[in-house]
Amino acid sequence: MKKVTKYAIIAQEKCNGCKTCYAICPVLAIRMENKKATIIGDRCLGCSNCEQRCPEYAITIVPLEKPFWVGLDVNKFDQLKIMELCTKAKFHPDQVICFCTGSRAGEIAAAIIDGAKTPEDISLKTGVRTGCKVLCIEPVLRLLQAAGIEPRKPDGYQWTGITATLWELSEEVKNKYGSRGFYFDADREFLEGNLAYESKKGGK
Amino acid sequence: MSKPVLKPMEPRATQYGIPPESLKKRAAELRGMTSLLVKELFPETPDPIYPGSELSAIREEAKRALNHVDFSKIKPSDTVNILGSHHGFTLLGGGPYAEMLRTIKDEVAARTGTKNIRLRVGVGLRFRESEEYIKRFELDKYFDGKAMGIAPVDQPITIETEVGPLYGIKKAYDAKWFIHAHNSDMREIHFHRLVDRILKPFGMSYARIETRSAYHHNLGPRGANFIARAIFESPFIKEKFIASVILRTSPIGILGVDADNNLYDQSDRTTIEIMRHYGKLIRILNKIDKCIAVIDCPGPIPYTFAAGLIFANFLSANVDVFDLSLPLTPYSFYSEMSYDQTGKPRFPGVPPINPAIGAVVNNYSFKGYPSTFFAEHTPTIVVGQELARLFELCEQNSEYMSHAVIAKDLDNAMNFARKIAQTDNVIVFDGAQGGVNVSESLREFLLKKAGQVRKEVEETLMPTWLKQRGIKLKRPEPHAKSMN
Repeated sequence: MKKVTKYAIIAQEKCNGCKTCYAICPVLAIRMENKKATIIGDRCLGCSNCEQRCPEYAITIVPLEKPFWVGLDVNKFDQLKIMELCTKAKFHPDQVICFCTGSRAGEIAAAIIDGAKTPEDISLKTGVRTGCKVLCIEPVLRLLQAAGIEPRKPDGYQWTGITATLWELSEEVKNKYGSRGFYFDADREFLEGNLAYESKKGGK
Repeated sequence: MSKPVLKPMEPRATQYGIPPESLKKRAAELRGMTSLLVKELFPETPDPIYPGSELSAIREEAKRALNHVDFSKIKPSDTVNILGSHHGFTLLGGGPYAEMLRTIKDEVAARTGTKNIRLRVGVGLRFRESEEYIKRFELDKYFDGKAMGIAPVDQPITIETEVGPLYGIKKAYDAKWFIHAHNSDMREIHFHRLVDRILKPFGMSYARIETRSAYHHNLGPRGANFIARAIFESPFIKEKFIASVILRTSPIGILGVDADNNLYDQSDRTTIEIMRHYGKLIRILNKIDKCIAVIDCPGPIPYTFAAGLIFANFLSANVDVFDLSLPLTPYSFYSEMSYDQTGKPRFPGVPPINPAIGAVVNNYSFKGYPSTFFAEHTPTIVVGQELARLFELCEQNSEYMSHAVIAKDLDNAMNFARKIAQTDNVIVFDGAQGGVNVSESLREFLLKKAGQVRKEVEETLMPTWLKQRGIKLKRPEPHAKSMN
């Protein structure tokens, strides 16, 4: 759940039409019109990505008079389905996956159950990927994959693809590097132990 | 006898902070404050070449180190990227790192004949930070208009690795060759666990969001930095890599420059050096049983400095962060994800944020790093409405102030902190050089603990730390002068 406190404004006269903002907006809130970037209605969730990368400094971020919340009430969704999806993706529903918004895996699963098919859909429903814009893309992709969804890529470079987890490392890789301080199997056991501990408690 | 306080790092004009003129009082100006030099605690800490001399000493040292580096692959018509990170600019005002970067450029140009040398500087979570440093040190001019900041949301390039595709920033690798230019202070041991510490930028500063996210979610609390090694081991990177140049630090300054064509040899040397110089310092912080921590430094909260350590190190100082038998450190993103909605650990064995921190006074720091967790787990007092508003409007911290209170000024904040923490011990993270500003009581306490800590680290802990990482203590150190 994210508290949205600000939004972007584009100074059209400064925009050079480079499409950088369009290519990186995590909620697809920017469209190109007559070779100028324009914010689409009230879709902006104030992440500052566009403002931080605009080469012309054409974008400013201004405070909202009335901040609002974006997020889902996990309790309104089928808890068993949430647990199944999270477990398949090797997350616990209560595990934080976005350190900026505090969003947990269960909320992302709820967004998928609610019809989200892409990381952008999930961001619009939950606010994840609109804080630092960096750290939570892989959990989002892992949960979509667990739901059997192959998300359609946007017309930009908002994200590329899913990457390996501890559960996919080959024995060859582990043997090759294990003596240099990487505790692959122990970390995997540790993470799995946490999931098992929650299950033993009956989960949530 | 009381020692004068050390000069705190100057506030800096930046889009990520409040204006310097808004900072009314520094913690070093508080009544009862004194200082403690690292040399008083551990006289064996080697003397730095900077501060204490001009920046030309950095240039001389960099040239000496680079003399051992083979640049023969680089032809006069080739392009070369020097890859830097914002971290280097946060050390001692940034001048030494900037001078090292300039020297690398000059040496490569002089010895290879190429004029096409570019500077690419990565960032953390403040995407224009490196642009600010490039401007401040006029590096764009020095690099003939070929210096730029790069961010993890910039255009990607796919890097095939032994663990599948990972993603780099295209601009980082858009030259035929590159030189890795980093720094060796211990910094984020909660993330890298001092395993391949100097390789971290391959998984972070030079990497796209997917790679960074994998680092913090997919590989586990001790294996995260394997992402960096996986990228460095890829044929794509191996083909382009020329050398690594490291600004060698101790908690009191710059020790020199280490340059090598072999990154792993250099990594082992650096790991040993970090353990020696930072190990004792962080272990002595472990002995503090109660204090107030004051954040008062131009940097995001976890990256504010005291005696060369960062505040994040202190958050985890209640455990031995070097010890790889401990899966979790008290602070890391893997630790953050181990708490439930009520702030309680979700399973047994999650080490708490250092309980010695009775209160945190945030007098001056930057936005642009997810910090709500810190305020959730330590009583936090923010000085002044302007700083509070900075955090309220930060997209990474919109809930930080929901867990903190606001004091009108620093004196009121400290009075309240003393009531909460029930202690007069104060430690200040203000970026002072050579030591740390502390209260009289804490100075005396720490001085008494130094001997015990030295013995503990040298005789017991360090052999364990090295063994866990597969590093033997004695190995050739051909390119490093006075590595101790």
